[in-house]
Amino acid sequence: MRLLRNPVAQYLILAVLLFGVLSLATSVLSARVAAQQASDDARQVTRVLARSVAEPAIPRGLVDGDAGAIDKLDREVLDRLLVGDVRRVKIWRGDGTIVYSDESSLIGAQYPLDEEEREVLENGGIEAEVSDLSKPENRLETEPGGLVEVYTRIRSPEGEPMLFEVYYSADDLAARQSALFAPIQRITVGGLLAMLVIATPIIWVLTRRLTRTGRERERLLRASMTASEAERRRIARDLHDGVVQDLAGTAFSVTAVGRDERVPDDVREDLQQAGHSLRTSLKALRSLLVSIHPPDLHADGLAAALTDLSAPAATAQVETNVHVSDIGEVPDDTVRLVWRVAQEAVRNAIRHAHATTLEVDVHRQDDRLVLRVVDDGQGFDVEGERDPASFGLRGLASLVKDEGGRLDVRSTPGEGTEVRMEVGIG
Amino acid sequence: MTRPVTRLVLGTAAGVLIAMVPSGVSASDDEVRREGSCSGKAGWEMRASWDDDERIEVRGRVEDTGRGQIWAWKIKHNGSVSASGRAVTGSSGFEVRRALVDLPGVDHCVFRAERLRTGEVCRGVIDW
Repeated sequence: MRLLRNPVAQYLILAVLLFGVLSLATSVLSARVAAQQASDDARQVTRVLARSVAEPAIPRGLVDGDAGAIDKLDREVLDRLLVGDVRRVKIWRGDGTIVYSDESSLIGAQYPLDEEEREVLENGGIEAEVSDLSKPENRLETEPGGLVEVYTRIRSPEGEPMLFEVYYSADDLAARQSALFAPIQRITVGGLLAMLVIATPIIWVLTRRLTRTGRERERLLRASMTASEAERRRIARDLHDGVVQDLAGTAFSVTAVGRDERVPDDVREDLQQAGHSLRTSLKALRSLLVSIHPPDLHADGLAAALTDLSAPAATAQVETNVHVSDIGEVPDDTVRLVWRVAQEAVRNAIRHAHATTLEVDVHRQDDRLVLRVVDDGQGFDVEGERDPASFGLRGLASLVKDEGGRLDVRSTPGEGTEVRMEVGIG
Repeated sequence: MTRPVTRLVLGTAAGVLIAMVPSGVSASDDEVRREGSCSGKAGWEMRASWDDDERIEVRGRVEDTGRGQIWAWKIKHNGSVSASGRAVTGSSGFEVRRALVDLPGVDHCVFRAERLRTGEVCRGVIDW
């Protein structure tokens, strides 16, 4: 299945399918053209035999079945009529009597002419059709592949119209058709094959180049995310070790002084308010620190980390519900991935969704860990142009894919958004 | 017609008829042969056989003639002239052969030769 995702494999499959279809189509068309050409050739040969060989040699009396006239015609033209693919020659009188044939036992026999033959006899022209070997006049024919008969009108010296009919071996015509068809097929199929052979390495090279470019972009993206994470870690550590500690100490001191009875009441009240304000700021700062960079994450601490992560949502008047079921042993890398995806999804929900409720759920499904971040916000068109803000999720999707998981974003305008991540933990 | 002339005509006709009666007949599966005497000093022979194209090959021969005689000959097939021509005899007469189409039924083949200067007639018939 992985092979099927390869663009070169896809191209080859499509090309081979297209090649097959085109080959079949050109074969059918070429065969049709070749058959037409073979039929035209047979008509042309018949026309030449009728006009240049048979008609000038017909003696007076033939039309009346005169034996001497039959002999004369036979001696003069038999060798010149039975040439190439010609298997049988008949000359018919208008009443359906065969007045001459190379098969002498047919001479003098009478058979009804069919409609097409009568039309040619009356109006001229030339016709070709597959011989009906069940007809009595064809009872002597034993050609295994059948016969094709071509007939045209000639005239006796007395001016009587007669039907000159030549029978060709269908096998011979088919062989000639094949001879005509083979070069066309070679050119067509050869051309397609050549195109396939030339295009495949080009596609392969281009695909490799694109793949390389894609990998490079991914690498840059990952490096950028890693750098960003390192920077965030440094800022978080600096804030935690510096400003947070200082603020905590200050808040503690201010609160302690605010409780000192030696301090005047009005000043104590101000100090207590200042202490409360400092503690609120400290809490916000800690939440910010968590969002900048999570603490060292393990499966056990995932629920707390996600709760901290969702704290700003509560501040933004979004009813938040975080639920992490017993997920058991999960690698730290996977826990970090869950946290990062949740971070991006929660951030998007707070910033863009205008949601009133937000649900973060992590549970185990067989050997996979599933994260769902669902909001009831304004949603968006997933197929439409992406908000630049969603770039983070797209970048994370790549990371998730690298871990063998998948990240899906389901959203409809006006109906909220669900970000769902599944990743293997087996 | 005067009596001597009548006698001459009748005598000649009887002589011709007698002369043209075949004196020898032989046949095999593949060939029929006739021979006889002409109305003069010459003799004739006629043969019919199949050729390679399954046609009837008719051969007519006039023998015992002097060199340089001119003869007109015909081969008739079912009563119509199939072939005709003139021949000049060599040391042993002359021979013609023609292919006739084997038509349904009996093919009535006639070879007839006439010496132009004397009116001597040779005639053979084969029904094939």
